[in-house]
Amino acid sequence: MKAHTLVIGAGIAGLQAALDLAEQGRQVVLVEKNPSIGGRMISLSKVYPTLDCASCITTPRMASVAHHPLIHTLTYTEVLGVAKNEDGTFRAHLRKKPRYIEEDKCIGCKRCEEVCPVYIRDDFEHQLGAKKAISIPFTNAIPQFPVLEPQSCTWCGACANACPVDCIDFTQESRDLFVEVDAVLLATGFQLTPIDAKAQYGGGKLRNVISSLQGERLLAPHGPYGRVLRPSDGKVPDSIAFVQCAGSRDASLGVPYCSRVCCMYAIKQAMLLSGSLPTADITIYYMDIRAFGKGYEAFYQNAKAMGINFVKAKVGRIREIEDGNLALRIERQEGTAQPEEAQHDLVILSLGLTPQWNPGQLAWEVKTASDGFVATPGAPLDPAATTQDGVFACGTATGPKDIVDSIMEAGNAATEVGKRLEIRAPMVPGGAS
Amino acid sequence: MSGAMDEAKVGVYVCHCGGNISDVVDVKAVAAELGKHPQVAISKEFAFMCSDAGQKLVIEDIKSGKINRVVVAACSPALHELTFRKALQRADLNPYLYEHVNIREQVSWVHKGDHDAATRKATSLTRAGVEKILRQDRLESIHVGAAKRVLIVGGGPAGLKAALDSAARGLKVTLVEKSGRLGGHLHEFDTVYPGGQSASELLGKLLSAVSANPAITVVLGAEVKTWDGFVGNFKAVLSTGDAVNAGAVIMATGYRHTAPSAGEYRFGKDDRVITLPALIEQMKAAPRGPLTRGGRAVRSVAFIHCVGSRQIEGVHAPQEDGKVNDYCSRVCCTAALHTINALKERQSDLAIYDLYRDIRTYGRGHEAIYEQASKNGVLFFRFTEEAQPEIRESSVVVKDVLTWNQEVELPADLVVLVTGVKPGEVAELTAMMKLPTGSDRFLQEAHPKLRPVEVANNGFFLAGACQAPMDLVESAAAAGAAASKVAAVLSKDFITLDPYVARVDAEKCTGCEACLPECAYTGALFMNGSKKAEVNAALCKGCGACVAVCEPRALDLAGWSLDQMEAMVDAMASEVAP
Repeated sequence: MKAHTLVIGAGIAGLQAALDLAEQGRQVVLVEKNPSIGGRMISLSKVYPTLDCASCITTPRMASVAHHPLIHTLTYTEVLGVAKNEDGTFRAHLRKKPRYIEEDKCIGCKRCEEVCPVYIRDDFEHQLGAKKAISIPFTNAIPQFPVLEPQSCTWCGACANACPVDCIDFTQESRDLFVEVDAVLLATGFQLTPIDAKAQYGGGKLRNVISSLQGERLLAPHGPYGRVLRPSDGKVPDSIAFVQCAGSRDASLGVPYCSRVCCMYAIKQAMLLSGSLPTADITIYYMDIRAFGKGYEAFYQNAKAMGINFVKAKVGRIREIEDGNLALRIERQEGTAQPEEAQHDLVILSLGLTPQWNPGQLAWEVKTASDGFVATPGAPLDPAATTQDGVFACGTATGPKDIVDSIMEAGNAATEVGKRLEIRAPMVPGGAS
Repeated sequence: MSGAMDEAKVGVYVCHCGGNISDVVDVKAVAAELGKHPQVAISKEFAFMCSDAGQKLVIEDIKSGKINRVVVAACSPALHELTFRKALQRADLNPYLYEHVNIREQVSWVHKGDHDAATRKATSLTRAGVEKILRQDRLESIHVGAAKRVLIVGGGPAGLKAALDSAARGLKVTLVEKSGRLGGHLHEFDTVYPGGQSASELLGKLLSAVSANPAITVVLGAEVKTWDGFVGNFKAVLSTGDAVNAGAVIMATGYRHTAPSAGEYRFGKDDRVITLPALIEQMKAAPRGPLTRGGRAVRSVAFIHCVGSRQIEGVHAPQEDGKVNDYCSRVCCTAALHTINALKERQSDLAIYDLYRDIRTYGRGHEAIYEQASKNGVLFFRFTEEAQPEIRESSVVVKDVLTWNQEVELPADLVVLVTGVKPGEVAELTAMMKLPTGSDRFLQEAHPKLRPVEVANNGFFLAGACQAPMDLVESAAAAGAAASKVAAVLSKDFITLDPYVARVDAEKCTGCEACLPECAYTGALFMNGSKKAEVNAALCKGCGACVAVCEPRALDLAGWSLDQMEAMVDAMASEVAP
């Protein structure tokens, strides 16, 4: 397969860059390792500072990409290698993982999912909910193909019997593909710092200590419970705490930097919680509130006016007391000097952002910086360039960033890729090249 | 029209929006009620109409010949009207035979308390949508040619990068700069954070690339004097007399430093009190040796953050327009700490006190600058907006919340006010170009999340700090993003515009000219040789002002005709008074 550009990662940055390039008449192969495009953004509840429903504003982008004649999307596909050819093009080795269904036959009717007897934990819900061993990854996934998880499947054959188009294929194997392109764009995104990285917070052990992305799912309109309940006993929480910098600005975790989005997502989640649980007490324990973007400070001030409690304090330890409730050892940085204990019945850890993918694992010249994210030696004026000519990066692949800044960088990366293509594959009038 | 109506078969699709709508509106009841309409062939409800599966429903129903007009009752048309129009296109149906009814923002989100009434309203609005689309013509979008030139207003780093990026894509560029030189605020700095590169070297690179590029025409000391035209064909005349014909515009009008208000922290009264930009200027002018003030060596400096930013009504003096700057200026925390580290490097025994509200070193490499300042022995004190530091004879007094509100007196030979930023002076320009600004006075993007460099006005794009405070990395990214959008718009042979414009029924037009003074868009409406009104579709914005005064009803808006409006009103009114 040949194209102008390979975009790796179909989160909001990759989607935007692919669209920008395609709108300029360039052919894009967009590769995504997950079964659906949409990245982290499609799993969020609402986004700050507009409080737009994330599904509502991400889905159109996903659909535009999926339907664009110049974008070829490969989901559930890994990048095994990228090699530079002598003529300056790149040859990418991709591996399409088996869904165990024939995609050209599947109509997305969900009959297989309905009859499957095996429930497994749902990764999209960050383990808060369950799904079937064969299922479509989430409601608005693109494409609407189910994925069968072979390690959980009992091979009972119920799905194959129920499928009206006979598309289940238990013997399907992965398939290797090769793509030749003039440029590569990394939009490989982020992951959260591990929830159990700070043992003293009990993350991963205490059931009512959850991650910020779990918090997003609790608040999503079509989330695991359909409403805000705490995981241990399904109780509606009435005292909720956010612990800021639970995975950032902490050299002991290897994350000395600020993760840039946690202040704002915590404030947003706090506002949404206070909307759905008007009588609940909500406290944010923080070091500095970094509401730096357009409209963010007003958002923060609104949250304060809504009665959300902002406490400048360090949280030392979290332990479980009776009924799954939690006691937080806090050291206030203003007010009193004495450490004290605060009780809450749900704690959300504002975990930090680390790179999702290390490009260093491939045999090429793309390097990462000391923070682990893709190095951008051209910054400040050329923030999309990497250490390898012809390879560009944008979004959270180059450091923590919110959606708007990721979109901005995606557009810039599309420009830088476009400039390279202008030289290597000039556009001829009429659009084709 | 009636012929078209006879054969019309409408498909109605009611969206749950994953609970956003269906938690309040009984979507099944709405779909069932609409299904009774004689010309509704299909009426369904679905979890997410905007999803691929939802769009497929519509496409399949069209392709199977069951329907030839579509109404989706869902969220705001601003979000998804285009999504469904494209779906119609994929099904080979005229994309304008589509009506998007908003039952989320206009129903479920505002009538949470009364499910029955919400359901009735949703039904009523959807029925009006059906009546409207029954009377819709097969409209065709308008195509206009595009000048392959971009006009960039502002010659700071964002404007320069946007110019280079656009030129590299084969476009001609006119770069207009109000002052006598290019480079903007980049001239002020010695080094830039976070990388510490020399600002003059960075600027040198940009300037030599711009001057070497024959596709870029730079006009210095010039402003846009007159403005006319539309996307693809804007016409500007500059104060130099130069005429520019551009297909698109990138605004890169940048920022200004805020000035402390009269007497704020004794600024202007006490010559020990200066601003951060003034300190940077002084350090750049005398790059080595200890800092001096009035000929004397400076041994202690106090920095006070958030001057002119994060202001609170009642606490801070308002700006010229009577409003306070309630936003965070984003760049000042890191800029101050970067400057502090430079000071410490040349004068390690200098005592530095940093008085802040929150330290916002958010960006890549910023936290390390903060760390370095701590390592350099800078002492940090946190104050609240209610208890501002006080400037005394030779000291600063701060109520430090970090040490339980102790009042601390700090010696200060120099007090540096870390001032914020505000947009460039562009009120006249934006009024002339009819560009929107936000309550913070910065230029307003089309969507603060998804379309940060686009403007609601077709053909305008934003680069850098004219949109919001931004550092150099972010301005460069914004400039590149704006250039990407321009390349997309101007790479095609023509620009496509919506057909929602006024049209004239020449038979009915009496040539009374009552419409002419109502039209606000030069050239959009005129009298032709046969004394009849005529519309230039590329210039008409579809505002409808002319339609309202046309007594013989010769003027009408395509897609929003008077017939359609009346039918919609009738549909809604019939329920109130059957």
